[in-house]
Amino acid sequence: MTTDIKTHAIDISAMQRDQRELCLEDEEITLQVKDLRLCYGEKEALHGIDMLIPKNRVTAFIGPSGCGKSTLLRCFNRMNDLVDSCNITGEILLDGNNIYGRAVDVAELRRRVGMVFQKPNPFPKSIYENVAYGLRIQGVKKKRLIDETVEWALRSAALWDEVKDRLHESALGMSGGQQQRLVIARTIAVKPEVLLLDEPASALDPISTLKIEELIHELKKDFTIAIVTHNMQQAARVSDYTAFMYMGDLIEFGVTDTLFTNPVKKQTEDYITGRYG
Amino acid sequence: MRISLSEWTRSGSPWVWLNAGAVAISVIMVIGLLGLIAVRGLGHFWPADVVRATYSHAGQQSVLIGELVESEMVPASQLRDSGIEVPEGIDHMQRDLFKVGNRDVTGADFVWAIDAHVTARSYPETLFVAEREEWGNLYGYLRSVKQQGELVAQYNGYEPSADSTALWNELQRRIERARDLHDQIQNIQKGEIGAINYEIERLRLKQRSLELQNVTDPAPYADIEARRAELNAEYEVLQSQLLELNTAMNRDSFTAEVANGSIVEIQVAKVVRAFLPNAMGPLDKIGHYAGKIWEFVSDDPREANTEGGIFPAIYGTVLMVLLMSVMVTPFGVVAAVYLREYAKQGFLTRVIRIAVNNLAGVPSIVYGVFGLGFFVYFLGGHIDDLFFPEAKPSPTFGTGGLMWASLTLALLTVPVVIVATEEGLSRIPRAVREGSLALGATKAETLWKVVLPMASPAIMTGVILAIARAAGEVAPLMLVGVVKLAPSLPLDMNYPYLHLDQKFMHLGFHIYDVGFQSPNVEAARPLVYATALLLVVVIALLNFSAIAIRNHLREKYKALEM
Repeated sequence: MTTDIKTHAIDISAMQRDQRELCLEDEEITLQVKDLRLCYGEKEALHGIDMLIPKNRVTAFIGPSGCGKSTLLRCFNRMNDLVDSCNITGEILLDGNNIYGRAVDVAELRRRVGMVFQKPNPFPKSIYENVAYGLRIQGVKKKRLIDETVEWALRSAALWDEVKDRLHESALGMSGGQQQRLVIARTIAVKPEVLLLDEPASALDPISTLKIEELIHELKKDFTIAIVTHNMQQAARVSDYTAFMYMGDLIEFGVTDTLFTNPVKKQTEDYITGRYG
Repeated sequence: MRISLSEWTRSGSPWVWLNAGAVAISVIMVIGLLGLIAVRGLGHFWPADVVRATYSHAGQQSVLIGELVESEMVPASQLRDSGIEVPEGIDHMQRDLFKVGNRDVTGADFVWAIDAHVTARSYPETLFVAEREEWGNLYGYLRSVKQQGELVAQYNGYEPSADSTALWNELQRRIERARDLHDQIQNIQKGEIGAINYEIERLRLKQRSLELQNVTDPAPYADIEARRAELNAEYEVLQSQLLELNTAMNRDSFTAEVANGSIVEIQVAKVVRAFLPNAMGPLDKIGHYAGKIWEFVSDDPREANTEGGIFPAIYGTVLMVLLMSVMVTPFGVVAAVYLREYAKQGFLTRVIRIAVNNLAGVPSIVYGVFGLGFFVYFLGGHIDDLFFPEAKPSPTFGTGGLMWASLTLALLTVPVVIVATEEGLSRIPRAVREGSLALGATKAETLWKVVLPMASPAIMTGVILAIARAAGEVAPLMLVGVVKLAPSLPLDMNYPYLHLDQKFMHLGFHIYDVGFQSPNVEAARPLVYATALLLVVVIALLNFSAIAIRNHLREKYKALEM
């Protein structure tokens, strides 16, 4: 087992090196955040964030607990709408359109911007029904189309071989790592443009974590990915760009390698060298 | 090892003892209560031996034939006060209650007798018991069997012999024949004639509604008239059939010698069953017992509910509870969903929650009064005005009935369902809701496809509690639709099959009626126990099925370990 993990680790750092020549100016932009402020009641949690999420790249958000990185991520698919006291100003443009605009259909937005949560949250249904859920919500009725999409999604989430013989068993019988990959499959089954991952591996064991990381690397071919993580090694391994946040401010945002090896701000350096957080 | 009191207190064992004691007392009381009603109720159906004895009372001697029902100790002073001679030095005397039957002959079918005065007890094998359609049991010696007044067989002795057996067999054969005919008559009366009457009544209402609409075209009237003539002809045929059957049924009679030595003649058709308890072996008795219990749960009541079965009451109870569940579940769930998922949480929702909880504590008779005033008189009256003007002045829905009773009980139990459902909704992990929303589902879709299925075990818990409360409720039902004897079942073969406007029988009300409104209290008392036991069993069965459904749902929608 240990040797397995090592080879995987080497693979990933090799993959990382392939993409050194990144530059934000050359990227196509999927999400653009403009002066985003968010208040919970009286308390302001995000103090005017400006940033970009480039297309088909993995953007990682790091920072100490309570810095607002998850809150920012949940702004991208308007999950914060569910919190009564939450008040948002500023703009987030998805392909040039403000997602906080008046005419926006929130359900449609959430289909385009999928989200995977910290803890696996499969529905108490069968594996198949979990993946088919989003399609059924959209009114897809054709069984063949659903079958094909379910298989594609499970294959993309590297889960097909493990579950193809028990598609109709309860998803709750799977291991935590499998459940999280199932949730990812469920999310990509509706073909979103953006995939938001909120600490997707924090509740998993190292091997499952590794599988998720490989999966992220695979998925960025098709999706724009934003990931929140506590684990700086993970951010360094999987992401192309990294944003460091602290106390509701975006401190530094740039190409991952540069940010980790040569941070501009002192706060960033203190954090990644472990002086706080 | 000695332990001081304070140490013992600190160790917590007094608490353990106190808690365990409380549980033990509860369990003992429940088991004791169930045991009491089971013994008293089920014992009633056992074919007890019939005693023949000499009873000396006030200087006179008489023959006493009957079953010993119960014994009790009575203070001697009380007996002396009532003029009974009690020797000096005796504080208490045993007093026995005998069921002597023959109410038509002696006027009372139960007799209290001082145990010491009942002497020369014997159990002759030729003593027989006949359960009759009316006047209760007959106890005596079979003397003869007659067919159309002509003697067929007779026997005048007191000892079992070949002749007495032959006579007995003759009687049994004829009882069987008469019961067959009786069943046929019942089938015709309840089934075919019932259906004809029902249709004639519908025709009358149709005609009346045509008249009310001022239809002058004679064609529909003629149609109705023609159909009515047809039905009347059918009715005539059935009526003559009935007459024939009745004559055939009343062909036989028998005579018996009763306790006071007189001979009574009784039609065989009036006898439900006859048996020789003293001659029966244990197996015969068990068979007889099973038959009696089956009759109790499957037959209609006889003799002002003091004999026969209580099937219509079981049927009415179960049907009413099921209807109540069907009404209360959607209503309670919808209310809880709004309160928990859509309403803005604040002062108003808090007030509503408190109100809902208080509603559960309102005395049930208040619901009955509300049901009578609002449902029966107001809603029912208006429904009658709008939809059943032809039936007036007799009310259709403007009187108590199955629907209003179910609705009243649904109202009574809706707080339980609301509270349980809210509880269930609040326990669904937020992560699961967010998972659904994040896939592009709207709030309503999330509710329907994920949240409500996951909350279904909690909803079922609410329904279980509602059933437990509603099935045992009597007071409100007395105002909104329960009767002591319903002529027909509320669900039958006549269109539209489920008669929501009909009055119905209910086990709880049956207990009250038989136990406290009965003309023959002694005869009815064991039935009160038996009915109570049956009510408990029915409620338990309803609850167990609901619990089984809930456990199935729980397994299916196992909550996530969050």
